[in-house]
Amino acid sequence: MAFTPKTAPFSGKINAVTLGTGDKAIVIGGQNVMPFYTFDAPIENAPKIGVEISDLAANWDAPALNEFYAGCTTMVDYAKKAETMPGADFLCLHFESADPNGENRSVAECVADAKAVADAVTMPIVIMGCKNIEKDGELFSKIAEALQGKNILVLSARNEDYKTVGASVALAYGQKVGAETADDINLAKQLNIMLKGLSINPENIVMNIGTAAVGYGFEYVASTLDRVRLAALAQSDADLQMPIMSPVSPDAWSVKESTATEEDEPAWGNREERAIDMEVSTAAANLTGGADAVIMRHPAAIATIKKFITELV
Amino acid sequence: MEVKELSFEELLATKVPEIKVVDMGVKYKGHNPESPTFVTIGERIHCIAPSIRKAMDERDPEPILKRAAEQIAAGATYLDVNIGPAEKDGPERMMWAVKLLQENFNNVPLALDTANKKAIEAGIKVYNRTNGKPIVNSADAGSRISYIDLAAANDAICIALCSADGIAKDNEERMKHCHNMLERGMSLGMDATDLWFDPLFLVVKGMQDKQMEVLEAIKLFASEGLKSTGGLSNNSNGAPKTVRPIMDSALVAMAMMQGLTSAIVNPNDLRLMETIKSCDIFKNHVLYSDSYLDL
Repeated sequence: MAFTPKTAPFSGKINAVTLGTGDKAIVIGGQNVMPFYTFDAPIENAPKIGVEISDLAANWDAPALNEFYAGCTTMVDYAKKAETMPGADFLCLHFESADPNGENRSVAECVADAKAVADAVTMPIVIMGCKNIEKDGELFSKIAEALQGKNILVLSARNEDYKTVGASVALAYGQKVGAETADDINLAKQLNIMLKGLSINPENIVMNIGTAAVGYGFEYVASTLDRVRLAALAQSDADLQMPIMSPVSPDAWSVKESTATEEDEPAWGNREERAIDMEVSTAAANLTGGADAVIMRHPAAIATIKKFITELV
Repeated sequence: MEVKELSFEELLATKVPEIKVVDMGVKYKGHNPESPTFVTIGERIHCIAPSIRKAMDERDPEPILKRAAEQIAAGATYLDVNIGPAEKDGPERMMWAVKLLQENFNNVPLALDTANKKAIEAGIKVYNRTNGKPIVNSADAGSRISYIDLAAANDAICIALCSADGIAKDNEERMKHCHNMLERGMSLGMDATDLWFDPLFLVVKGMQDKQMEVLEAIKLFASEGLKSTGGLSNNSNGAPKTVRPIMDSALVAMAMMQGLTSAIVNPNDLRLMETIKSCDIFKNHVLYSDSYLDL
């Protein structure tokens, strides 16, 4: 008798969330199976890759990466170049310089950059802040206002600021909001409940359930991803059915495997190669765990992950 | 003179008043029949209450909608609809009640509760299954065994009371009734999980020595993979009002430990509902969050 494989799609389904507008708009989520389980049911929306563009990109120290962006000086230059990167689906503007403990760039300057980029590109835009709660709150609100109608995603609302960020970004300006928690499934669920409690439509929420570079406690991320997805699919838990976006590059590029010089670690080989390897491993681990989108930096790493996704979906 | 019996369609067209949808400020949140969470069947739409009996007689929506809204707001999964014996106008009464409740509350699933089988059949004809099959309330292993046939013929869930003539004397007898009814349902094509076995909860004041036996029966059902339900608050009949919620909550927790999957309850008993939600957390049926009691 012929072997008939038994398929097992779930009754629960991940919300499909659209980012951006026009031809370049993307949809993340929408599936009712575990990551890449296309044998159980078709996955309509393959995972997406975002290119990180930092306002401190001038400090990036990686020859091939710098070569790719050769001649770029403004955030707009970087963004236009990033749009041409094979495998790129969306852009992530990372306003690291806003940090009051760092360069403390003004909100107005950051907003002007975001606006200029939004006017110059067609890909969907995701915004990352500087991790300072107070500064991010103001920055997110102002960028969401300036980019009204662009259907951007702002990463992220956290337990400390979800009311202000959620209310301004999603309710006042109609953008998508990220819900960021630190590797804890119960906190992830609770934050989504609180955001929904502000009357934010669940279809306007994307989760960042916590990140780490591989080798740096990633097993916690892996386990959380797994459990979030099983709760969403197997238990049909509507408070965890939001798609997941994992910012990979900030972690992958800041661990010692990616930063130690060849003089310090001669046995480890080429530094940029190591950073690319860290970025590829971390992105692949996130995607196989359940992330519906990853944010990455290096063209070589992005090309590899794009191939990985294309061959599996 | 022989009066021709009207068909359900004719009754629906001529005897069932049109339903007006009224905003009661409550939306039924929906129910996934596959979910392992405990199913509460709200018991407050019952003709034993004079206001409900009068509303049923006069087809007055307001008192019925009010009690439905209160139960839904409190988190009831199903609503029981007891239309009384309804010997005369049962079918049109039930069709009206089913349409009234489902059209007003996002197709809330219902348990159809009457001795009039024609009325149950009529209710199922107009029933919307979006949030779960209708429940026939109820069959037993004695004179009401044919309610299982009714459920089977209409693809409904059936509450199956494990007694025949009077209370079963022990669990051997309860399980004999259980297996009789299970066999009957399955021979008529029902899924085993569409029979919800009722051990018959007994009153503490009078039958205190039988309580553990009832709990043991639930465990026996669960060990065979069977679902269960029952009128849990029977246990506290005659106890002071302030004590009843405490007894009901303690018993539901013990019964859920044994594997009880549903109960016919007053969902407006906050202590009871909080206990059920907490037990669903401990049983890992719902993922914990700090707001779990509000969901």
